[in-house]
Order: sequence, then C-alpha cells, then structure tokens
Amino acid sequence: MQYMLMIAEDESFYQGDDAEKRMEETIGKHMALIEEMEKAGAYVGGHRLQDADTATTIKYTSGEGVLHDGPFAETHEELGGYYIVEAADLDRAIEWARKIPVPGNGAVEVRPIWQD
Amino acid sequence: MRSSVGAEIAGARPGVIAALVAQLRDIDLAEEAFAEAAATFLEKGVSADNVPAWLFTAAKRKALDALRKRAAQAKHAADGAQVSEMSNVIQLPEAIPDERLRLIFICCHPAIALEARTALALKVICGLPVPEIARVFVSSEPAMFQRITRAKAKIRKAGIAFELPPRKALAERLAAVLLTLELAYTVAYQDAAAERDGELAGEVSRLANMVAELLPQEPEALGLAALVALARSREAARVDEAGAMIPLSQQDCSLWEAALIEQARGLLDQAAEFARTGPYQVMAAIQLCHAQRGVDGTTDWAAIVKLYDALMMMRPGAVVALNRAVALSNAEGAAAGLAALEELPKDKLQSLRPYHAARADMMIRSGRDEEGRASLSAALGLDPPSAERRFLEQRLGKLG
Repeated sequence: MQYMLMIAEDESFYQGDDAEKRMEETIGKHMALIEEMEKAGAYVGGHRLQDADTATTIKYTSGEGVLHDGPFAETHEELGGYYIVEAADLDRAIEWARKIPVPGNGAVEVRPIWQD
Repeated sequence: MRSSVGAEIAGARPGVIAALVAQLRDIDLAEEAFAEAAATFLEKGVSADNVPAWLFTAAKRKALDALRKRAAQAKHAADGAQVSEMSNVIQLPEAIPDERLRLIFICCHPAIALEARTALALKVICGLPVPEIARVFVSSEPAMFQRITRAKAKIRKAGIAFELPPRKALAERLAAVLLTLELAYTVAYQDAAAERDGELAGEVSRLANMVAELLPQEPEALGLAALVALARSREAARVDEAGAMIPLSQQDCSLWEAALIEQARGLLDQAAEFARTGPYQVMAAIQLCHAQRGVDGTTDWAAIVKLYDALMMMRPGAVVALNRAVALSNAEGAAAGLAALEELPKDKLQSLRPYHAARADMMIRSGRDEEGRASLSAALGLDPPSAERRFLEQRLGKLG
C-alpha cells in the first residue's frame, strides 16, 4: 500500500534568533530519512512546501468558489511538506512517520492513498 | 433442542470468526459468512460431531463464493480463477487454529479511537449484540452501530495489519484489550441466572487467561485473569433453588470452586512481584478477601475498605464509591455505611439498582424498615434481571 505522511508544524519554531540553524538541522534529518527510505525501497516521493502565508485557497460555498489568501484551515500547525511511502501495512507506515523530524510542536497525519 | 443448538452455535462463534478473519482478512466478510453458515446449519438441521469445524468450513466456502462473485463483478478474472481453485481444496472439516487472541489485539489497534476499539472487540470477538454494547457504553444503538462500522472500515481501508503485533506494541494495546474483557465480564455476570451469558462468561475467562499467558510480565493482565477466575469460582453459589440471586455475603462457600480461587491467588502473587499495582489487581484483591470466608469463615471488612480507598484513587467513580460504602457498613456498622452513602452525589446513583439495594440493606439493619421498603421498591422499579428481581421480592416479603 501507499501512504501519504503529511507534516504539520508550528512554523514559528523556525523563526527568530537561531532560525537558520534549526532549519538546517531539520533539513539534514529529512535528507537522512529520504536516504533511509530509498534504501528500504519505501520512498515514492515527497516535497517541502513554502510557508503557509504563501498559500491561496479557493473556498467553495454551494459550489461557488471564492479565492482566499491563506491555507484552508487556520490552525497553529501548518502543512509544511509530505512524503509518499510504500508500506506493507499501517504499522510500517507509522514507523516511517515516527522518523520524520518534528523538533517543535506539530503533527504527522498518516493516510492511505486511494487504490482502485 | 433448538435452543441448545443455538447455544452451541453461539459458543462456536468467537473461535470460528477469529479463524475466518485470520484467513480472509476482512471482518465484515467473516461475520456475514458465519451468519449464513449458522442459518444453513439451523435450517437444514445438520448433525455434525464437530459443530465449530462444520461452521468454519461452511462459512469459509460461503465467503470464498462471495469473493468470487465480487471478483467477477469487478471483472478481475484472474482473481476469480484463483479463488475458485482455493474453494475446491476445502472439502473436509479442518482443524481451527485459535486466532481469537490475535483478533482481539487487531481490534484494539491504537489507530482506532479507544471507545471504538473496545466496542468493536466486544462485537467481533465476544459476539455481543450491538444493543447490549450500546447499553454498556450508555450510548444510543445507532451511534454504537456507526462507531463499530467505522472502526471496521478503518481497519480495512487504512491497512491495519492482520498480524499479532511485535511484543513491544502489545503493551500499547493492552489497556483496550483489558477494558474489553472487563466489560464483557460485567455483561456476563450482571444476571446471576443468565443462561445465555454462560457462554460469554466461559469465553471471557478463556481470553483473560490467554492474555495473562501471553503477557506474564504485565501485572494488570494477571490481575484481570485473577478477577475473572474469582467470579467463575462462585458460579454455582449465586442462585438459590427458587432462582433468586444470593448476594456474595450469604453464599454457601462450600459451593465455591477452590481450584479457581487458588489460581487467582497464584496470579495475584505473580503480579505482586512487579510492584506495579493497578485497578484490576486491586479489584481482584478485594474479591480474594471475600474468598477468605471459605477458608476460615471470616471476612476482613476493614481490609476491604482500604482496598476500595486505593481503587477510588486509581479509578474514582460512583459505583466504586458505592461499594466502598457497603464495605464500610460491614466494617463499622450500618450507620457508618448510611453516612457514607449520604455523601455521594445522588443524581448519579438514583438510576443504579445496586445503590437502592445497598441502601435498603443498611436501612433494614438499622431498624428503619419503612425506608428499607421504599429502597427495595425503587430497585425493583429499575428493571432488574430475573434472579435479582426474585431476591428483591423475597426481601420485601420478609419485611411483611
């Protein structure tokens, strides 16, 4: 099965004084994780996203779409990136999800990808 | 005759369902196939030496037929061919591997909401009907039905594995497994004379022992197994010839099964070595104190009150507080018990039969028959199971 691992993080963790250092550390861990996934044949894809303030959302009311400046849900944690992994079952997918670095506050959502 | 066949089918259900799920990896399919097989068994008046094996084989065949139809509908000819070959192989009753433990741990996966885990396990493994589960959770039937359906769908769609998880993950699921068994045990023992629940009590006891054997380093698993063993030890002493419930303190302890009491004592000793106490160990310890009456004719009520104090710290609740008050009334007298009852929040207790029954007992012992009578009537008004109703009526009759 394929699973999407969606990473929501509190962006403020990467702002302020040692922002750059923190970001470098996290990215380094991501690179290592991708390497590990590739070796295990689990890596299907993934991307880092720009900050949530770059997001534009089309909000629909009864099918009528209106543009909105911002992400689709206003929360403390913002979708910051995702992985798609190949895993035998949910537990294996969760094992990968647990390896995703989230040094501050956040959440990783694990969802199976629709299969026909 | 038919009702005993019904009981035989009910008794076979947990093991057969678990074995089917292990092979089919689809809970709904297993349940539907079992129901069809059971219906055929009843309709045709099949006589089989080994009812579970017959049901397993028939259900598996029906499930494979259903799968083949599905595959044909989806025009997956290859899958269909494969399935049809498999169904040809299955002719004779086969040995059913015991997969219940695996199934209960699958249902208790932490990716499923806690309440749904237990509800699902009660439905699938213990075979409790949805209305009964709704009652245990004080929830509505449609809501409970929806919760269970959603949980099954999550297992299927999210790809929750049908394997027993690695040892370190077992502990993570243990709380839900133990809660499932505790609730099933509560349902099984709520009616002293229950005929239907005889099956359930046996099943809960087997599962509790299996969990304790699988995780002997988990003291709470041992505690629950001890608790269930103690309840079982009293089965023969719970009802009189007229079919009336006999309360624990008046049971003929020569009817208690000593081997089960000793088993419970052994389990609790084993649990104590870990020095990690928990509610199941405390509940079992309370029941073990009661079992002492069978040895030397005495009950150490002061010790029981202390154990309820400990239980209140771990798991505060109206029922625990009520039981503590009952213990206190025996340790220090009815007046002390009544005083403790007075302190409890009345709104929560009014709907509990044990509250009214306990209050009646304390009132009568205090010579306040009129209030005792009122409490007995209140308990009778709360739809007691038959054995308990007879007991309450007997007491009311004695008051004149």
